[in-house]
Amino acid sequence: MNPDLPMIAIRNLKLDARTEHGPAHILRGIDLGFGRGRIVGVVGESGSGKSTLVSCLLRLLPSNIERLEGEILFDGIDLLKLSPSDMNDWRGRKIAMVFQDPMTALNPLFTINTHLRDVLKRRFPQISAREARERSLAMLTKVGISDASARLDAYPHQLSGGMRQRIVIAMALLVEPDLLLADEPTTALDATVEAQIVDLFDQLRQDFSGSIVFISHHLGLVAELCDDLCVMYGGTIVETGPVAEVLARPRHPYTRALLDCEIEDDHGGRLATIPGEVPSATWAMDACIFASRCAHVADICRTGPTALETVAIGHKAACKRSREVLP
Amino acid sequence: MRETLRYVASRLATTFLIVLGAMILLFALSALVPGDPATALLGPAATPEYVQRFIQEMGLDQPWYRRLFSFMANVFVGNLGTDVLSGQPVTQIIANVLPYTFILTFTSIGLAVAFGVPLGCYAATHRGSLLDHLLAFVSVAFIAIPSFVIAIFLLLIFAIWLDWLPVMGAGEAGNWLDQAQRLILPTIALSVGWIGFIARLVRSSMLETMGENFIRLSRAYGLSNRLITYKYALKNACIPTLAVLGMGVGRLLGGAVLVEIVFSRPGLGRLMFDAISTRNFPVLQGTVLVVVLIFVLTNLLVDLSYAAIDPRIRRQGSR
Repeated sequence: MNPDLPMIAIRNLKLDARTEHGPAHILRGIDLGFGRGRIVGVVGESGSGKSTLVSCLLRLLPSNIERLEGEILFDGIDLLKLSPSDMNDWRGRKIAMVFQDPMTALNPLFTINTHLRDVLKRRFPQISAREARERSLAMLTKVGISDASARLDAYPHQLSGGMRQRIVIAMALLVEPDLLLADEPTTALDATVEAQIVDLFDQLRQDFSGSIVFISHHLGLVAELCDDLCVMYGGTIVETGPVAEVLARPRHPYTRALLDCEIEDDHGGRLATIPGEVPSATWAMDACIFASRCAHVADICRTGPTALETVAIGHKAACKRSREVLP
Repeated sequence: MRETLRYVASRLATTFLIVLGAMILLFALSALVPGDPATALLGPAATPEYVQRFIQEMGLDQPWYRRLFSFMANVFVGNLGTDVLSGQPVTQIIANVLPYTFILTFTSIGLAVAFGVPLGCYAATHRGSLLDHLLAFVSVAFIAIPSFVIAIFLLLIFAIWLDWLPVMGAGEAGNWLDQAQRLILPTIALSVGWIGFIARLVRSSMLETMGENFIRLSRAYGLSNRLITYKYALKNACIPTLAVLGMGVGRLLGGAVLVEIVFSRPGLGRLMFDAISTRNFPVLQGTVLVVVLIFVLTNLLVDLSYAAIDPRIRRQGSR
């Protein structure tokens, strides 16, 4: 393993899905890399491809995929080239996932203990039922579940949404993954519970040595939690870099517009919105992906797609006019 | 635990009420049938004196509430009346044929489950494969063909042409091998349709379950396909299948009559059929009541197994 290489390097990842109107370009060439121990926040509107990106990392994709190209290097190994059974070996061992909706993520007919024990047994085949239970108890306590022993014997319907999400997070941590994928883990929860879960992630990063990809459509939440930020739009990455840097000096008009949409106290009433609609996934992209909604659009933006360019150290943006309009 | 007990108690109470209701309906049926039951049974040739004696013996001259009360009181002590034709107690007549019906019903359902569930699982996990398509075709065909047609074909092929198996009747009393051999063809005739039905049902509920988020989660954690299919998904897919099994037992109990006739087997369905054609009311009443009782008990069993499988049902039941 080369320490200079990032743990994850995604190169020109393209994914098309079959639809009635021809191929839909869900991912239009994603380039993203990050090292061990980072928390990467991925933000974007619905349909920007952020959930598909994590599904690609797990290679758990729907059956209507027409084309999947590019590379996903995990410690130098291309996940897309692994055989199905080798890929399955990575799941629940090196990669774990926290799902969006905790209400449907657990099987209603099995106790929490059964869920955690089966996942632990798959990760550590030698583990005894008793040890699995002990580890589960310790982990439930760690993720902030009181009376863990009773909860372990409960069925999912007996627990609240926030508690179920803590259990799914406990499950992810129990397998000690190198990469934890969190697909909008707080979207389905109440605002107060959301804050608790974000705090939980913040606490957990102290002991967690792996990396986390945290998907959200909530920029403020990502700013609080993450090291790196990756802004997605229409199946492309439009801006990426360290969170503080990107938020302080956004170099893409879309990031800037997203920031303006966040709720702030000094707005005096109306929230900002971004006019227009996200371009259709079937669009061939013969211009900048954001051109149709950009306030600073010029002729040069319509000459072809815009590639990511380095604008500062570790900071990239895909805007041909970023130096002029967002200095 | 208390939730479970309360659930069981509430199901038992419902079951009792259903049986009571069925008894009242059965009584009403015999009271409302047009014509005088005595003349209907004895025929036009009977002398008026004999008819009069018969009416008194049967208690037909009593007011209806008296008759209802004595009917129920008799049923509770296991007395279903007397067969007017043979003079035998109805309870005895039913007890004689009940074992044959029970064995045939449960071997048929057992066979249907033993084949239907694995076939359905296979079809769901190999969706679109050749076997899946073949299974779909064969199941629909078998569901559509009436069981007595299959019975006649089986009889022709295996008993007459190939002469592999003895048929006709239930076999010599006490000779287990003979009885078992004579059970094979009726069992197959009754179960093929159910195999197809259960396979289709398991396939569709399995496919529905496979699309659930919790199955996606199991996959995301690399659990083996076998564990996901046979532990996590099958338990969910069991619930609709169980409901159908409950109905299946009820159908086979009274509905196996055509197969019983083809193979000349004694059974409840056969008994009921004969009682209808001879207007033998006491036997008909008793047989229907026994079928209702078994049907209701089977459904009680289904409800209880639901609760054993799904913890959410236990909670709903006790509320």
